[in-house]
Amino acid sequence: MVQYPSDLDTAFAAVADPTRRGVLERLGRREASISELAEAFDMTLTGMKKHVSILEDAGLVQTQKVGRVRTCTLGPRRLTAEAAWIADYQRMVEARLDSLGAFLERTKGDQP
Amino acid sequence: MITTTKRHTLTTPTDRTIRVEREFDASRDRVWRAYTEPELVAQWWGRGNKVVVERDEGRRGGHWRYVEHSPDGEVNGFEGRYREIIPKDRIVRTFEWDGMPGYTILETAEFFDAGEGRTRVVSTSLFFSPEERDGMLQSGMEGGMAESFAALDRLLAEVR
Repeated sequence: MVQYPSDLDTAFAAVADPTRRGVLERLGRREASISELAEAFDMTLTGMKKHVSILEDAGLVQTQKVGRVRTCTLGPRRLTAEAAWIADYQRMVEARLDSLGAFLERTKGDQP
Repeated sequence: MITTTKRHTLTTPTDRTIRVEREFDASRDRVWRAYTEPELVAQWWGRGNKVVVERDEGRRGGHWRYVEHSPDGEVNGFEGRYREIIPKDRIVRTFEWDGMPGYTILETAEFFDAGEGRTRVVSTSLFFSPEERDGMLQSGMEGGMAESFAALDRLLAEVR
């Protein structure tokens, strides 16, 4: 039996990186080869292979080689509530710092 | 338009950690106050949503609870406890969202003087699963219970 990492680790592997989030989104629409993905995300083939292999280890993506082309599809595992939470949290932290920047700008010179 | 704040940098130094770094054109004093004075927190923490600071006991062990009210009527509560507060230097606290109870995040905010009146904020978040948290609690509790039973045994032996 294949041993997958825990839900939280899987979720992290998948969503803590924006490229991997994007790859999952895209594969959710339709399958793609590694070179198509590399081109879509403006990155080297080696770089994309790394992302795909992390997603593959997590069970979120599976690949199949036909001839010289490796095709990627969504794997047997689906993203969990944890993954959505981690992605939301990350966006929240970034938005909060944006908001803090705007606040500090707005209140500049208000008082010493 | 904000031209004075640099874009954040985002890295994940270890698994389960989210680290965001930002530089602000404001003194460490002002940034510290924005993080710790409830009436100032309410003005930025909600990212445009209304924030009600229900509790903010800014000391080790103190509770905090902020509730966000979005314009469409959605209400989201966030809370935790302070683990460490060193004025103008760092805040370490737990963070939990009402919607994912048990999923504790340990949040650290560090404040650095970046020169020329600027401040760098480094925010690090470490995620725990409920199983891990329960495991931690349980291992502590089991040890404590064994000690309590031993003490009870001694007491009962004495009063026999």
